[in-house]
Amino acid sequence: MIRRTLARYGTALAGVALFAFFALGSPVFLTPDNIALILKETAFLGILAIGFTLALVTAEIDLSIAEVASLAAVVTGALVHGGTNPWIAVGAGLVVGTLCGAANGVAVTVLNVPSLIATLGVAAIAKGFSFMLTQGVAFVGRWPASFTNLARGTLLGVPNLIWWLAGVGFAAWLLVKWTRLGAHLVATGEADEAARLAGIRTRSMKRLALTLAGACAGLTAVLLASSLSSAAPAMANDHFLYAIAAVLLGMSMFEPGRPNIPGTLFAAFTLKVLGNGLVLLGAEYYWQDIVLGTIILVSVALSATGTGKAPFVKKLNFRR
Amino acid sequence: MQAITKRNLMLGGAALAATLARPALAQAMDVAIIGFQMSSETHARAANAAAAAARAKGWNATVLNSEGSLPRHAEQLDTLIGRRPKAIIVCMGKPVEAEAQFQRAKAANVPVITIMSGASNDTLFDIQVNEYEVGAKAALWLLGELGYQGNILTQRFEGNVGTRIRGKVLDVVLSENTGVRVLGTHTMARTASWRDDVRQGFQALLLRHGAQTQGIWASFDGQAFVIDDLLKVRGAKKGQVKFVSIDGGAETYRRIADPDSTLMATVTIPFEEMGTKAVDAAERIVVKGEPKGAITSGPYLFMDAALVDGNNVRRFL
Repeated sequence: MIRRTLARYGTALAGVALFAFFALGSPVFLTPDNIALILKETAFLGILAIGFTLALVTAEIDLSIAEVASLAAVVTGALVHGGTNPWIAVGAGLVVGTLCGAANGVAVTVLNVPSLIATLGVAAIAKGFSFMLTQGVAFVGRWPASFTNLARGTLLGVPNLIWWLAGVGFAAWLLVKWTRLGAHLVATGEADEAARLAGIRTRSMKRLALTLAGACAGLTAVLLASSLSSAAPAMANDHFLYAIAAVLLGMSMFEPGRPNIPGTLFAAFTLKVLGNGLVLLGAEYYWQDIVLGTIILVSVALSATGTGKAPFVKKLNFRR
Repeated sequence: MQAITKRNLMLGGAALAATLARPALAQAMDVAIIGFQMSSETHARAANAAAAAARAKGWNATVLNSEGSLPRHAEQLDTLIGRRPKAIIVCMGKPVEAEAQFQRAKAANVPVITIMSGASNDTLFDIQVNEYEVGAKAALWLLGELGYQGNILTQRFEGNVGTRIRGKVLDVVLSENTGVRVLGTHTMARTASWRDDVRQGFQALLLRHGAQTQGIWASFDGQAFVIDDLLKVRGAKKGQVKFVSIDGGAETYRRIADPDSTLMATVTIPFEEMGTKAVDAAERIVVKGEPKGAITSGPYLFMDAALVDGNNVRRFL
């Protein structure tokens, strides 16, 4: 019983313990401003990681999310910087992300390129286009408030970034857990051949999942550009490993061994709590990496059995 | 598995406990230092010098690394403002991109001093050398050594504002001195594996134009070290090719003084002094209550960048 609870909720409990630890260690940590700050920061990582989770649900890995997000940010930034209507710029950023995701989907399901390689290829292309558009120089400026408020504004007293995170998280959770389409996505990831024999269009499911991952990257890009009033190549790259870490940590809780939206969101929040708390405690920068690595190792070790059953682990032959 | 888990948990707990066991932040002067990209030697030199200067005064100094990421940079600033340190020092930051964070800091009465970042209305001032002047010094040294005639190769990096400015100033100087011709240019594209990038790219330039080259210009010293090693392998001797770079530092001075090295000059940027200067300024403003105007009247606190070559390198060793 305890073992099963630990496997299912061990990482979540570790996250809660971490939260309590920082609350005791810093008087600032539990202030509403700081909690709102952590949640706002979770938005970028969380939305990007949700995209990665959706791809992983169909047992495909999208390694292009960060470069695609950077390209979408550059396109959005270039348009806003050039005086284009911000809503058109936002639309363009979302379209770029979605199209890159679709390109991943076509490469995987039509050209039969393994997603590990296909998404690396798309990432390289996106990176090249980012540098082509910027020549390495960031688009920076005091952009219209109608654009920057997408990330910096508030609605009903709650920061917009938190609304975005809640909206995307809820929609993704609804899709995966409570719709027929979601069930087909899961079935495709867990037993591709059986799902196909059962009449599920598995290739379409994989294309859809990778396209949604691209769309999430596009939205992350728009919010990043809006928040920072700038756009530069590789600007989202910092989130890449953290997004993967969030998804893997998320797979060690709630539904051990399976990519799941609540797990991803909770893990993304925990990672941001970690960064925030260590800064508040005055820890040197290298501690963040050391503690992060330790938490990942401990969490995954706690539910190693579950992770060993993960569809993508089987697919990549990462057997223990 | 259980033993490993326990050990990892204990190590993690010990690390966090050690962090907590540091002297209470609230009791002493608490200064936070952010290096935008601590894997870059110049960022680390400024940030580490600032941290050392602060600790020498008995202050608590926390060094953070934004790892070259704007989102992380903004996040760290936001979190720090919540912690309310007595001062924040930002090394090679991005004031326009972090405008919202600097405005928050100003509103929260947390003074921010930047180093080599550019000025902002919301920070006290930016400590820097004039990159345009630095670029001009390096370019004019090279042209002077060449007698304003000859062929040169250039190694550039467009991804950093400082190195980009140096390259643009070189172009302006060359446009006024048409007797010096650029035979070839390699622009560093990769940042993670830049040494390899420079080695491959410049090797190709040397193969093609090496025999006709009288001068070499590199946008920062790290590139110059790679090129120096390439030239040595080709048997080049000091002075055969007039070779200048920019940044300064112990290894650069050693190579300038070394007769076996081909590197001849650099324009030295005093990164360590900048870090120390930032801490001194924080002390005068925050502890002693002096007005900002007593330190500098404008948005910048300019520092000298000396040209170092064979004539004066002994002073820097």
